[in-house]
Amino acid sequence: MPARRLIYLFGIAGHPELSPAMTAVQQAGWEVVVPSVPGFDGVAGFQPRDEYLDWLTTFWDSIDATGATPCPVVGASVGGMIAAELAALRPEAVTGVALLAPFGIADATDPGFNIFGTPSAERMAHLFAKGVPPAFIKRFAHLGEEEAPVASYLSDVAAANILWPFGERGIAKRLHRITAPRLTMWGDLDEVNPVGNAAMWGGAQIVPGAGHLLEWDAPDQVSAAVIEFVNSLG
Amino acid sequence: MKMMWFHLMPYPKLPEDFNTKHRSVWVDIDPALFDRDVMAETYDTYIDQLVYAEDCGFDGICVNEHHNNGYGMMPSPNLIAAILANRTSQAAITVLGNSVALYNPPIRVAEEFAMLDLFSRGRLIAGFPVGTAMDTTHSYGMNPGNLRPRYYEGIDLIMKAWQATEPFAYNGRFNQQRYVNPVPRPWQKPHPPVWIPGGGSVETWDFCAENDFVYGALTYYGYKMVRETVSGYWQRVEAHGRDDNPHRLAVTQFIGVADTDAEAYQLYREPAEYFFNRSLHVYPGFTDAPGYVTEASVRARYQSQVRQVARNKQAKHDLTWEEMVENGYVVIGGPDTVREQLEEAARELRIGHLCAMLQFGNMSDELTRYNTKLFGEKVAPGLRSIFSEYADPWWPQNAR
Repeated sequence: MPARRLIYLFGIAGHPELSPAMTAVQQAGWEVVVPSVPGFDGVAGFQPRDEYLDWLTTFWDSIDATGATPCPVVGASVGGMIAAELAALRPEAVTGVALLAPFGIADATDPGFNIFGTPSAERMAHLFAKGVPPAFIKRFAHLGEEEAPVASYLSDVAAANILWPFGERGIAKRLHRITAPRLTMWGDLDEVNPVGNAAMWGGAQIVPGAGHLLEWDAPDQVSAAVIEFVNSLG
Repeated sequence: MKMMWFHLMPYPKLPEDFNTKHRSVWVDIDPALFDRDVMAETYDTYIDQLVYAEDCGFDGICVNEHHNNGYGMMPSPNLIAAILANRTSQAAITVLGNSVALYNPPIRVAEEFAMLDLFSRGRLIAGFPVGTAMDTTHSYGMNPGNLRPRYYEGIDLIMKAWQATEPFAYNGRFNQQRYVNPVPRPWQKPHPPVWIPGGGSVETWDFCAENDFVYGALTYYGYKMVRETVSGYWQRVEAHGRDDNPHRLAVTQFIGVADTDAEAYQLYREPAEYFFNRSLHVYPGFTDAPGYVTEASVRARYQSQVRQVARNKQAKHDLTWEEMVENGYVVIGGPDTVREQLEEAARELRIGHLCAMLQFGNMSDELTRYNTKLFGEKVAPGLRSIFSEYADPWWPQNAR
């Protein structure tokens, strides 16, 4: 078992490739393990889950299949929400948790940009403050012209199925159960999960000029903070 | 062929610059646009029109369900249907319908429909639409990914509840009830006829064919645009080994009748333009909730250029009156012209139930009644015998 291994749980738009920030973490000597999650992988035949508990079960199965736990967990967006749940409900699996703009606690007075109430072709632009990275522009392109949009659709179905209608999952009631060390970061230009929500997580490091998927928008700042955090866990 | 009078109940006073000043008639429409006095008076007018349709000989009168909507002021069609059941005596009370997944528990639908069936002494047609993405996922917050399984399970529960002779327990994926025992049960036995309004998904066609339900091709774009949908439906009916009884199908159609073709062309232009270019101004983002459309339908979407072209055309919302007429979105003309077009449509598509929409957009009460009366007196008689050789087992037991 490698001594320096962490799990990365990706965000709302799936995992076309390892982000620049997580690549830097990898280059700093950490093996970055990315669980494959049904729906987000674009594989045909995906069935949405009936309820949130079913999604947690799906993620637990995917995480356990890596054999990486106990270890640090870095979670972004949807993945941040799941990482927080893991830390709250299965503390023995988590040695530390880094949350990047996690969903799960929403403020109805500022619900943010309605990403799933937007034409699919326009969604990506609202997840980044510095332009959509090529990896997301060509998401699932390897599947061909007819199957790529279907795979993209399934990935969006999975994300929407977890978050609908705007990402409130009652995590505030479970935050007190997170005993592992925690790092929380947020882009100040996050459209879909407004930075004001950070206060309900007990505060966060604010990353200027970054949008929702801040590990893509601000790779240097995010990787530096994550590396320092996971290195501090011993 | 049965002739039915379908009301969308549109708000008639959207401003002329609605399309440029507002992004959507649906979901997040500005509530300041609605005047309470106009709405109250409009409800009275529209209900009177539905009652008048029975007087003009229509076999059924139809209402439907929409939410947060400027062209359909009927979040609760059951309230309207209750009034209609009391004020009419022969027409089928056709509720198209209740979006089952929105009712928690869906047994509520079983109860209210049973009440309507009793009020009307067995004249109810029970419609169970999935409901649009705008209504269900955006306005009501339903999770699009499990809307359909909730819908199917809800119908299963309702059908069992209507026919059960004693209380039973229901342990579904989404619904658990220790005692299912609705009071009342429907007047019609074993249950009211079930119609499924749909927009063209393969799953809905199969669902209707498997369960022997009527498929309602509810389109705003007329019989010409619904050919592909109807053809797909009949293919699935055949694949399931069902007969081709035309009464398995209902189709909506906007219609404008006048004494002459020229008069009709002049009379119905404004309400049609109001409907197609103002009432259908829906923000595209609200139509595309991930999970609302099944994987199979999405795959078909990307494989069908024809349907994509049609959708792009429909999404334009700057249609000319000439395009509306040419494309059959609105069938207009003198009685003979209208009857000939509808007969051609009925025979080609095998339409056993025509849901005529004779009020649309901001059509005045006077013009609506003129249209309704002319259709009833001069168009319907020439159409009624079409497919009369077929029995209609999907018609209410006590309707005309």
